[in-house]
Amino acid sequence: MESTDGFFNEYGGKYVAEVLRRPLDELEKAFSFYMKDADFLEELRIIQRDYIGRETPLYFAPTATKLLGGAQIYIKLEGLANTGAHKINNAIGQCVLAKKMGKTRIIAETGAGQHGLATAAACAKLGLECIVYMGEIDVRRQQPNVAAMELYGAKVCAVTSGSRTLKDAVNEAMRDWAANFENTHYVLGSALGPAPFPDIVREFQSVIGNEVKRQCEERGIKIGAMVACVGGGSNSIGFFNPFIDQKEPRLIGAEAGGIGLGIGENACRMTGDAAREGIMQGYKSCFLLDEDGQALPTRSISAGLDYCGIGPQLAALGKSGRIEFTAILDEEALNAVRFFAKNEGILFALESAHAGAAAMKIAREIPCDQAVIINMSGRGDKDVFITSPVFRPEEWNRFLHAEIERLECNKDIHDAKIMTK
Amino acid sequence: MAKIKLMSHLVAGYPTDELALTAARALVAGGADILEIQLPFSDPSADGPAIQSACTEALARGYRTADGLNFIKTLHEENPSITIYIMSYGSLIYTPGVHTFCRKAAAVGVKGMIIPDLPFDNDEGLTKACNENGMENIPVAAPSMTPERLKKLADAGFSHIYAALRAGITGTNTMIDNHTLEFLKKVSAGGSKVYGGFGISNGEQSAALASYVEAVVAGSVFVRIIAENKDNPTVLAQKLTEKVKELTHS
Repeated sequence: MESTDGFFNEYGGKYVAEVLRRPLDELEKAFSFYMKDADFLEELRIIQRDYIGRETPLYFAPTATKLLGGAQIYIKLEGLANTGAHKINNAIGQCVLAKKMGKTRIIAETGAGQHGLATAAACAKLGLECIVYMGEIDVRRQQPNVAAMELYGAKVCAVTSGSRTLKDAVNEAMRDWAANFENTHYVLGSALGPAPFPDIVREFQSVIGNEVKRQCEERGIKIGAMVACVGGGSNSIGFFNPFIDQKEPRLIGAEAGGIGLGIGENACRMTGDAAREGIMQGYKSCFLLDEDGQALPTRSISAGLDYCGIGPQLAALGKSGRIEFTAILDEEALNAVRFFAKNEGILFALESAHAGAAAMKIAREIPCDQAVIINMSGRGDKDVFITSPVFRPEEWNRFLHAEIERLECNKDIHDAKIMTK
Repeated sequence: MAKIKLMSHLVAGYPTDELALTAARALVAGGADILEIQLPFSDPSADGPAIQSACTEALARGYRTADGLNFIKTLHEENPSITIYIMSYGSLIYTPGVHTFCRKAAAVGVKGMIIPDLPFDNDEGLTKACNENGMENIPVAAPSMTPERLKKLADAGFSHIYAALRAGITGTNTMIDNHTLEFLKKVSAGGSKVYGGFGISNGEQSAALASYVEAVVAGSVFVRIIAENKDNPTVLAQKLTEKVKELTHS
């Protein structure tokens, strides 16, 4: 489903200052040209195969199926993509497009760091300069991803304005783009923001859904429901896309229920009654706003879902009823991480674990000859600093203290105290 | 030379209610003709760091739209001859309802609205709501606009157009060159009067610009003065007044 003049029913649009109009219009033209250009598509296909590692497996989860006692559980292992999450699909697509457009400099925003990481890797692979804007608070709490981005040669700029998190990184990237669009492309990481970004990100992420469709046809799998987590919505819209215009299967989006229903305790835009229609960051959609229209604080254990808006197409599909939304609490997501790790040997990212938890809840609603497919949009290695304090607090505490001691003594690991006792 | 007409920008509620009022009075005392009052928004993506920080600070102390309108009401009652415009973002206008917002704004004495992220050809009814309430919508033009789009804007029949002189964001230095003058000519080609600004910080710049615009706009320069002198209201007022005099050559 393409937007009509940038709108998905009443949502979407290009609500930007005129300084950004021209780069958006030029991008829109280039995108629609190159998506029909055989050379571009072939170049992208080869990179997807050899660099990203596509196609990613559609894994049948036998133990989970047995334990949940309903539908056949399948997991799309998008976390096996290079850099560990689906974000690379869009980052590579946009960077190749930017190169075709003659841009030499790439900017990106990032929250948890996954999109920044993917863009930094894509730029390293394609020989482009890369600047990643990241809220100062996120820089502090996501150091492993900052380190990886720097290894890939990107410059990470800590954003000190506003709430110093994802939405402020988006604002800063927009400012940079407004001033430098002649040589710079802005790789927006989610299926939101001003048109044409929702269309671009959906198309580059649709490789996920297209593969699922083909994999199910080849193997004779009847899909009862598809479940994905929804922050801004890039993995879910790409996963759902080939099925949107059909009545079936059920499409379920899992958003961050955080720690509860109160203001600032979750990131529920489509469930509950706190969200309202609004215009922010260049698009019209459902947002968590106060009655004046100011952005409200959000909360989730998964940084990737911790955002006050949702992609306009998802909001429209939620309103029309084609996509169902459900809220998953932090604790339910942690349980899903444990469940799939122990029973299937698959470590979900906390974001994707929201989809896992939603699937666990609805497995029995689907007949046992049909499949529930979970999109594991990312793998959980990156969450070790968040999950370890929950799953094994004492051991983690001892480990971190030992590491600090070692660092401060400037000792090689082989000479450190932890090696001698 | 003759006094230059000046539109001076101010963030409502920054740094405090009292100091914002002190600042506004100082701008008027210096000879500002128009006050562009910015209602603080959590995500002011078309503003530079100085103005964004001011907005963040005002919001952090619980500043609301209603407080900003009360501030304007006070200013209007004190200086009925000064034209007051609101500058803000679509979210603050759209969320309460464009008509509701415009009715409230007009009631406190606002004469026009500058909302950069509501494009002139997809403005959620802002122009209409302004007109119905005796105000005007003042769209923002940028040098990076395509000739076709700029012409569409210039011919759209607005009384005033705000020309953002530098392709980028507020608060960085503006070069007034032939390119800029060419742009200003195109903005006014349909008969609209032009307010020109973005990065105007000294008398030399305002003098170079003055003859091509209805009024020169200055913003970040005042916000910086306020930020630097917020512990000393007397100096703050004095410096603002001096800066207005410098910019208006009065």
